[in-house]
Amino acid sequence: MQLVRPSSVEEAVAALRGGAVALGGGTDLVPLLRDRIVEAETLVELHAAVPRGVRRCTPTSTSPSPSSARFWIGAGTPLAVLEAEPEIPTTLREACRLAASPQLRAMGTIGGNLLQATRCWYWRLKFPCWLHGGETCDAKEGQHREHAIFGNERCASAHPSDPAAALLALGARIRTDRRDLPLAELYRLPTDDDRSMTTLEPGELILELELPAAESSIYVKAMDRQRWAFALVGVAAARVGGETRIALAGVAPVPWLVSSPEELEQATPLPGTAYKLEIARALVQRALAQL
Amino acid sequence: MARLIRTEKEVEGRYEEVWTVVEEDALDQWPAGPLEVVGQPAQRQDGLQRARGEARYTADVRLPGMLHAAVLRSGVARADARAIDVLPALELPGVQAALSCEEVDFLDAEAGYPGAAVAAVAADTIEQARAGVEAIAVEWDESEPLLDPDEAIARGQLVSESSSYERGDLEAALAGADVVVEAEYRTQSVLHNSMETHQAVCHWEGDTLVVHISTQYIWGVRDELAEKLGLRPDDVRVVCEFMGGGFGAKNGAGDYSLIAAELSRRTGRPVRCALTRREENLAAGNRNATIQRLRAGARSDGTIVGLGGEFVNAVGWSGWLAGTDGPMQMLYGVDNVATMLRGAKLNSAPMAAFRAPGFVEGTFGLECLLDELGGKLGIDPLELRRRNHADADVLDGRPYSSKSLLECYRRAEPHWDRRHEVRARSDETWKHGVGLASQVWYGGGGPPSYAWVRVGSDGSMTVVTAMQDIGTGSRTAMAQIAAEELGVSLAQVRVELGDSARGPFASISAGSSTIPSMGPAVRSAAGDARRQILELAAQRWQKEQRTLSLKGGRIVCSDGGSWPLESLLGLLEDAQILGMGARGPNPTGMRVLTFGVQVAEVAVDVGTGEIRVGRIAAIHDVGRIINPLGARSQVEGGIIQALGHTLSEHRLLDPRTGTVLTQTLDAYKLPTIADVPEIVCEFVDEPDSHLTNLGAKGLGEPPIIPTAAAIANAIRDATGADVRSLPIDREEMLRALAALARAKERSGDRVAARPA
Repeated sequence: MQLVRPSSVEEAVAALRGGAVALGGGTDLVPLLRDRIVEAETLVELHAAVPRGVRRCTPTSTSPSPSSARFWIGAGTPLAVLEAEPEIPTTLREACRLAASPQLRAMGTIGGNLLQATRCWYWRLKFPCWLHGGETCDAKEGQHREHAIFGNERCASAHPSDPAAALLALGARIRTDRRDLPLAELYRLPTDDDRSMTTLEPGELILELELPAAESSIYVKAMDRQRWAFALVGVAAARVGGETRIALAGVAPVPWLVSSPEELEQATPLPGTAYKLEIARALVQRALAQL
Repeated sequence: MARLIRTEKEVEGRYEEVWTVVEEDALDQWPAGPLEVVGQPAQRQDGLQRARGEARYTADVRLPGMLHAAVLRSGVARADARAIDVLPALELPGVQAALSCEEVDFLDAEAGYPGAAVAAVAADTIEQARAGVEAIAVEWDESEPLLDPDEAIARGQLVSESSSYERGDLEAALAGADVVVEAEYRTQSVLHNSMETHQAVCHWEGDTLVVHISTQYIWGVRDELAEKLGLRPDDVRVVCEFMGGGFGAKNGAGDYSLIAAELSRRTGRPVRCALTRREENLAAGNRNATIQRLRAGARSDGTIVGLGGEFVNAVGWSGWLAGTDGPMQMLYGVDNVATMLRGAKLNSAPMAAFRAPGFVEGTFGLECLLDELGGKLGIDPLELRRRNHADADVLDGRPYSSKSLLECYRRAEPHWDRRHEVRARSDETWKHGVGLASQVWYGGGGPPSYAWVRVGSDGSMTVVTAMQDIGTGSRTAMAQIAAEELGVSLAQVRVELGDSARGPFASISAGSSTIPSMGPAVRSAAGDARRQILELAAQRWQKEQRTLSLKGGRIVCSDGGSWPLESLLGLLEDAQILGMGARGPNPTGMRVLTFGVQVAEVAVDVGTGEIRVGRIAAIHDVGRIINPLGARSQVEGGIIQALGHTLSEHRLLDPRTGTVLTQTLDAYKLPTIADVPEIVCEFVDEPDSHLTNLGAKGLGEPPIIPTAAAIANAIRDATGADVRSLPIDREEMLRALAALARAKERSGDRVAARPA
């Protein structure tokens, strides 16, 4: 395996042509490579190429509320920086703080975090499941206590990212080397024809995030232990420009927006995930009460 | 003088009658309470070595020319390896040797669980060995796995003969009881996950096989390898100086040491066979799941008249019947008890002993049942336990060698009294409560075990014994015992252990037996050295030996004279004083057991099912405490391990294929430091006057036993919900709360429907 270390975005994008794999903090990619779930002949180390850091920025024309302050975050920024950043909205800061362990947060970048693969044990153990191109979802038939309650018709995997839910609730946008899009449009539910979870094109690279300051925001998370566990249910809620948005982690194959608490009743839990819906109801109610 | 006696030997609760050679134990016990060194908190002698990374574990052993072995394991739960071709592996770069179940009898072609080893490859690097394993061609003949324990019992698929026990007449007792409760409890399978995975490095020095291995039983490994490889026991040398945890899973030699030994024999080079974390969680043992269908009956005054239990241990492909029925038989003075214990043979990995095997599981069921009974009777849980205290052993009426459970209860009172204040913290969301549970376990140790003490002219004192310190601080405790006996400071004593070629036989470190088995042997050896020192002192200063003693590094005479120890030892030059000691017999006709009680404080978020354990008070009775600091560390470790068992750890299997889904530590959730509650730790610290020259029992296992039930009982106290299944994760907690709500609704309906 070859490692290339570009020092500019242009070099990185060029290096990513032809099937090379982008390496951020490596906290998810390295285990996937080791398990040969991801195969790569070339890794492109993004450290010196992709921007890092947080700053206030001027509103853009695409902002939902052009008058309010906005934040720019480099996609290479580690979660450990964001959890200690007093200016950014609480929901993002808390989502970062409650993710993983200090070591993982020191390495893991926000851009990489948005693209984390599911923790579904069948997928990780390389069962020939639907997401790996097979016929059926093994989790639906089998052990699925950590799995999805929404969007689980084909694949019951749960998206593991806490910050993604926070950024979704904030209405964040991302900029790649070729376009600018709302975060919500980064994710897609996989279909029989195309089983990818994101709309990124081959070799497309996330460079920056932009998000509004929130009037109020919160992130609450239910885990199997107090720290260092993926969300059974994570709830992000944010009030931006007078509008309140709720997004959930760990409940669907992709980070999941719900327009209102009532929308939770449209969930399609599996026998072993019904308890997650109960948790989601309680946490959404509490998050909204505390906004 | 050595004697040949017929005695009962106990390991992990299993008794057998054996002929044993024992030495008389001539020393009187020390007075109770903290002494000069024994009973004083002592930091680990090897603490700095460990912290600095200087301690050499098996995982650190790298010998010149060493090869690495990788193991081919079955990927499915039930399959026969019809034909195995290792030749493709041998053609790969770096591969030096391969073996399979077709040629060695310690590997089995009938692979009865996922992860069963069928072949192995040794290569220059571990990557080459793994590539070799992948190249081995196997013709698998798969069949449908059996995974449901009840189904296995129904089909008569048992690992061994079922075990039934009866005293009195249970059915008559329950028929005459004022209150009867009946409930089904379940415990899950959990994984040991020692920091150091199972591993061995083997090499041959002439005809001698040298084995570096992470083990709880140096001498057991020696004998097992000798037998299986056709060697004389003394042609196997076993070394384990430092060890990264075992918890019961490293009592035997394991197939990995046989693989390393055989591949080393074939290649003439050292071979390392180390399990990866995933292999560790597939095929290195586990605490088996249990199903417990229990009944209890009591009179309205709280006297328990009968206890009954049908227990199923989901043992796995092989293993033994851990005593899930033990607590029900032994903990309370109940006249009518009937238990039946069955072991389901399943296509899942074999169980292994795991810190108080059986008793952890059985105590969860029994002690939850007791609180359910207390609830119906309207009797306080602590009072209910007092009223049913067993004053003499309930199995056969023999006296206990010592028992201070009532003293434990007395000391539990201030912790138990906190429940009013704790409950008062409850609000709409968080419900607070307190629960307790008692514990009984073995932990008396036994003979044989030996130690030597070497005293040189430089004044150094070295304890030599081929025991292992499995990470519990045994090395330091042994040094304390020798220092006390020799009247010197702890710093003057070194302990050499961990090598079967460099010391006498020492017992297994399992069944809470290291302190009670090894400690008396070490004291006896130190006592022999002391006697010889005083013999020489009597000659040097023309005193009667009986007037002399060792204290504070000096030879002290009862007439008031005293001389520094080095003024005598300096005369030795190259001569040495060699003290020899042996573990004496256990008291005949007595039951040696350990007892304790724990009080847990919890808070339950009734909206999300989150459980937070705020505080656990542990009061244990294990005889004399040698090192209060080490003992406290044992209690903390036991409680934290219990916390994982109670709340978050669960070996999950795919229900169709039997694949272990939780092979990695992100999926298998051990507690983190953020989960650890305040732990308050107390010991009765009263020597067992009948047990050895120390009066000390073992503490490795007692603290993990009552925790799960104490927490479950606290949850019931906080919420009213009955949690009967481990782990009590969010799903189980919310299920129990919903069941409670439905029950309340039904009783509400009945009340509403009642005519006015």
